Amino acid sequence: MRPATGRSLGLMVCLDCHLTVRSVRAPRLRCPRCHAPLHDRKPHSLALTAVLLGSAAILYVPANLLPVMETRTILDDENDTIMSGVVVLLQSGSWPIALLVFIASIVVPLLKILALGVLLYSAWRRSPRGRLQRSRLFRLVEIIGRWSMLDIYAISLLATLVQVQSFATIIVGWGAWAFGAVVILTLLAAHTFDERLLWDSA
Amino acid sequence: MPPVIICPACDMAYRRMSPLVSGRTRCIRCHGSLQRAENARIDTAIALAVCALVLLWLANAYPLVTMHVNGASRETTLTGAALGLYHQNYKSLGVLVFLTTVIGPLVQVLTLLYVLMPLWRNRAARGQNTGIRLLTRVRQWSFVEVFMLGTVVALVRLAKFAHVVPGVALWSCALLMLCLSALTSVTGPDQLWRWAARVRT
Repeated sequence: MRPATGRSLGLMVCLDCHLTVRSVRAPRLRCPRCHAPLHDRKPHSLALTAVLLGSAAILYVPANLLPVMETRTILDDENDTIMSGVVVLLQSGSWPIALLVFIASIVVPLLKILALGVLLYSAWRRSPRGRLQRSRLFRLVEIIGRWSMLDIYAISLLATLVQVQSFATIIVGWGAWAFGAVVILTLLAAHTFDERLLWDSA
Repeated sequence: MPPVIICPACDMAYRRMSPLVSGRTRCIRCHGSLQRAENARIDTAIALAVCALVLLWLANAYPLVTMHVNGASRETTLTGAALGLYHQNYKSLGVLVFLTTVIGPLVQVLTLLYVLMPLWRNRAARGQNTGIRLLTRVRQWSFVEVFMLGTVVALVRLAKFAHVVPGVALWSCALLMLCLSALTSVTGPDQLWRWAARVRT
């Protein structure tokens, strides 16, 4: 037996305030309670998510290869990528912090891009396998997404503080820009993905 | 209100039952959260919001960290960190940092107070429903807890060649992080809409 869904009953749910609304075919429908735009499913969800995710995947390469910051001292110049930043932390003996940065800046973005890719593909194929697991995966992506901003905040503080002319200056690199863009694009991609699409063929 | 609840995560439909007394309900199909019972009173939420506002002010008015190196010292504030990026010609990054650490939390707390203060006196603020919607959206872009850990990372990296002293704002930020998460848990969307509905009847 098919489960009773909003769609089968001719009902919609407002994603902003969770009010149940009767489905009507009308352009520019708005929630009667919170005035948010109402849609049966997020419009162009798969296409938008694919574009955002694709851009994030492309920018992921320069984000990891280009230096995120450049430290200029009297003695030498030193370029740091995200990975070498982790190595520096590891060498200075603070492995818990190194692990934290490694997870937040390298594992999380990669995991997000891969996970969203899998979800996108399976939603597009209307695959019936492991729906619950995929739903959980999506929720995980939503929760951990923001933690990738960690390195951006660390870089912004370092670049602001270390401006001692006679001693050292830190200059932000284009890698940081690309990395910030990856984080924002993946956050937006998760936002435009309609998780109900994973369940629609049930 | 239709007597049906629809799971926003998988579109499963449920018949609305009597209000929850405690805990929460989850969707049987996707295990997503459906409803949460009332877990606080408006007074508590307002108290936490005022507390968050004071902490937000402290976090912005005082230096976050001071660095001493070779007899020179430098300090920065929360806004200063965003401005640092801005001045290095990474304007978009600077704006991003500013929006997620200063504007996000500020808008979140102010909107909450704007909605809750009249509700507390049994009245509805003008544009209340749009306010609640704004609130749930802005919350997704307020990253104080991430900023807090980012600061710790920066301090660890600096500590090997400079003497760093945490400032008032750093402690305020830590408290703000706790305060905001408590605030978010007592003013969930369910809760806000329940309070709003109570006034009209």
